[in-house]
Amino acid sequence: MVPSRFFARLAAACFLCFLLWSAPANVQAADDNAPTTEKAAAGSHRIAFTEYDLPNGLHVILAPDATAPVVSSYLLYHVGSKDERPDRTGFAHFFEHLMFEGSEFIARGQIDKLISSAGGNLNASTSYDQTDYHINLPANQLALALWIESERMLHAKIDETGVETQRQVVKEERRMRYDNQPYGGLFEETSRLVFKDTPYAWVPIGSAQYIDRATIEEFRDFYKTWYRPNNATLALCGDFEIESTKKLIAEYFGPIPRADLPARARVEPPEQRQEQTHLVRRPNTPLPATLHAWRVPPETDADAYALDLLSNLLATGRSSRLYRRLVDTEQVAVSVQAFPYLQESIGMLGVFAIGQRGVDLKKLDALLDEEIARVQKDGVTEEEFQKTRNGKESELAGAHGSAATRARALAHYHVFYHDTGLVNTELERYLAVTRDDLQRVAKKYLTADTKNLISYPPMGSPTEKSKP
Amino acid sequence: MLRFLVFLCCASVACATAARADLDRAHPPAPGPAPAASFPDYCEITLPNGLKVFVIENHRQPTVTFRLLVRAGAVCDGPKPGTAEIAAELLNKGTARRDANAFAQAADTLGAVIEAGAGEDAAFVYASGLTRFLPQVLDLFSDAVLHPAFPEAELTKEKARSLSQLAQARQRPPWLLSTLRDKLLYGPAHPYGAVPTDAVINALTRADVQAWHRTWFRPNNASLAIVGDVRADDVLPLVERAFGAWEKGDVPALQLPALPAPAQTRTIHLINRPGSVQSTFAVAATGLPRNNADLPELGVVNAILGGGYSGRLFQNLRERHGYTYGAGSSFSSLRLGGIFAASAEVRNEVTLPALQEMLAEIARLRDQPVLDAELAMQRNYLAGNYLLSLESPIRTAERVQEIDLYGLPGDYFKTYARRVASVSTERVEALAKKYLPDADGVTIVVVGEARDVRPQLEKLGQVIVYDLNFKAQPAAAN
Repeated sequence: MVPSRFFARLAAACFLCFLLWSAPANVQAADDNAPTTEKAAAGSHRIAFTEYDLPNGLHVILAPDATAPVVSSYLLYHVGSKDERPDRTGFAHFFEHLMFEGSEFIARGQIDKLISSAGGNLNASTSYDQTDYHINLPANQLALALWIESERMLHAKIDETGVETQRQVVKEERRMRYDNQPYGGLFEETSRLVFKDTPYAWVPIGSAQYIDRATIEEFRDFYKTWYRPNNATLALCGDFEIESTKKLIAEYFGPIPRADLPARARVEPPEQRQEQTHLVRRPNTPLPATLHAWRVPPETDADAYALDLLSNLLATGRSSRLYRRLVDTEQVAVSVQAFPYLQESIGMLGVFAIGQRGVDLKKLDALLDEEIARVQKDGVTEEEFQKTRNGKESELAGAHGSAATRARALAHYHVFYHDTGLVNTELERYLAVTRDDLQRVAKKYLTADTKNLISYPPMGSPTEKSKP
Repeated sequence: MLRFLVFLCCASVACATAARADLDRAHPPAPGPAPAASFPDYCEITLPNGLKVFVIENHRQPTVTFRLLVRAGAVCDGPKPGTAEIAAELLNKGTARRDANAFAQAADTLGAVIEAGAGEDAAFVYASGLTRFLPQVLDLFSDAVLHPAFPEAELTKEKARSLSQLAQARQRPPWLLSTLRDKLLYGPAHPYGAVPTDAVINALTRADVQAWHRTWFRPNNASLAIVGDVRADDVLPLVERAFGAWEKGDVPALQLPALPAPAQTRTIHLINRPGSVQSTFAVAATGLPRNNADLPELGVVNAILGGGYSGRLFQNLRERHGYTYGAGSSFSSLRLGGIFAASAEVRNEVTLPALQEMLAEIARLRDQPVLDAELAMQRNYLAGNYLLSLESPIRTAERVQEIDLYGLPGDYFKTYARRVASVSTERVEALAKKYLPDADGVTIVVVGEARDVRPQLEKLGQVIVYDLNFKAQPAAAN
């Protein structure tokens, strides 16, 4: 289940992660095991949590919350498509599918039935940097989630039948999301260009031919390499009691052996010296569309927050610059989006406009260029700056409303920022960005000679022209 | 070498597990006592002008959401299809006090989101933002609801955008599928089955959207839910001030064509979308309106067939055959009628076998008894997931307003989990017979590459082929 939304910010960042993870410093345990706890003050909206490591390296985050009698288990493995070999793309995502097959003690095809029978639901997703597994259950079924996740981590079972079936399923997933939808391949085309010569150049769905070519031993190796407690973070949020839950976690996950993790591939994109353009001529493209994208730093970079606010300023809300100009005033676009796509070891900022019928792509491109240049030349007004800050505060205030979204956010901040408490304090980082910063990052990163331009001219159905 | 490693790994695990004799890994853990699925408390009042107001307090986040529902959906379109949809889009594009840009500027400055839209039965206006801006958000929200100006220039822009969006939709298989399905099952003359066209959009005038608002936007034809970090005592006086002067008015009775009788013969409809690498298809039939008392229990029948990963369609079409990424079914119900549809998207070459498996699964559930374990699983799945959904206060607001819109019993959701959890095998069998379509009465709709798919479909019966504008092609030309 590859992320389907183009601008979904799924996984974030830590530029130094490959260094930390390859270092044997990871083999620390019991004595460095003191839990840290963040308490919520009465009446505040802060999320209270406690976190610690098991001796085998599994990081655990517990966020008890009795608002509703539910519990969400979120298990994040720090492995994604960027950890794949270039000739074995799609492995991380394929393995996500295999993790629903079964384990030593769970018969093939029973995982979803166990969860359904317990009144819950489950899902999983794969991005460049991570593979995650969610289980939501009535609170009295917490142990079931722990049992299933620990079974899958300890001894998942991968057999030929499952591999053959999922090979077909994943190809259908790719056709549905990428190949049979207008602009469905946009993300793939963009990554290939903007992240060229890095392991981010391919998307998590990967290439079907590599999945077909791989042997079952390769899948098992992938599992043994990456699905280790010391490469995983378990976050629980919901109605449970801390001490008994800790005991359960120790029982279920404690016996799972740790292992040294391999060094991760270095992400060293070559310097881009001139604009790159790419024309995508695909049938069933109803309207002209254009994407301008620039490579930017990863999410933990000091400029990440300014880049995020800059993209809001450009295209969030009907008073934003690009909406006003392209959609409202000039009426050349149906929609326009700006998205920061900041990952663990690399980032991208993109602006995507879908034109109205009959609009020349050059017109769209010229207007986008003009608006970017205007930010660079004149900066932003105080009024716009305040508006962008309020928008971010509102967005963050509404961001973590359920046990499931809280568990996910906690794990995310731990794994990619090493600061779980950011779930409560991230707004401060945004508020530290100055008005000048917005202009500065626009000038620094959105330059004409580092632009990547992807164009979709409108095209009808393939057979239309061949008919008399 | 690999085997050796696997063996070592297992051995060490066995030792570790043995050290914890109290943990039984071989069986699922026993659950604790089940929590009760009680519907959350909420406050309800009716203003003198007839506006029903619900307050659902939830203090988890410092935000507030207003959700207004007006019985002004596409069913009210009359001779001009698309009126409700375009008119609703214009509610936040200019009011008596603010032009479109000033309105957008004001909302964005607060970091608030104020949006409107229309579905088949109702139009909606939402506003959400930080609790500390509640008075300002409410001011903008009520301005959009009560005093939209429908500027001619904004209507012109909206129409142009809609024409482009329609061109885009005509290349999207899910949209093509549901539009033709609805046309066939609800009939093209009924607003539920209306097909948007360029001509329909071009024909809309400012007088049409003004009349829509004047006629249907009445407090006695609406309900308002307020959700979030507020106290009813604090927010109700503000709401009364904002909406108390909204004038009530008589709302005309709807004049609608009768819905077609359920189909008796199987028909196959193929929208030719050249270049498709998948067939997107549905096996559909007439369903039932939202207030039909059988719906909660029928949900169990649907879950067995096509609800979630454990449903039969998913298990068969995906897990057994690898035909698709997903397959499922649903009874979608509106005020006046509904549709049953089972659907999937599969690679072109397996279109026929996938459809045959789908038809066979529907027939199997209609004609053969359900196993106790499967029934128990799906009952628990629905009751448990209902419990999980109670965590969301917005979902609670939607439900409270749903009761009002569709005239459901007041305890509909309070008793929902209990009803679902106690459905018997006999009841499932009776409901499956009554509501699942007979293989002869289904309407099959496929969007795909006709060159590849049509010969396959013809093995099921005569195929009517359409272009992307839903025009049936003359048989000879195909």
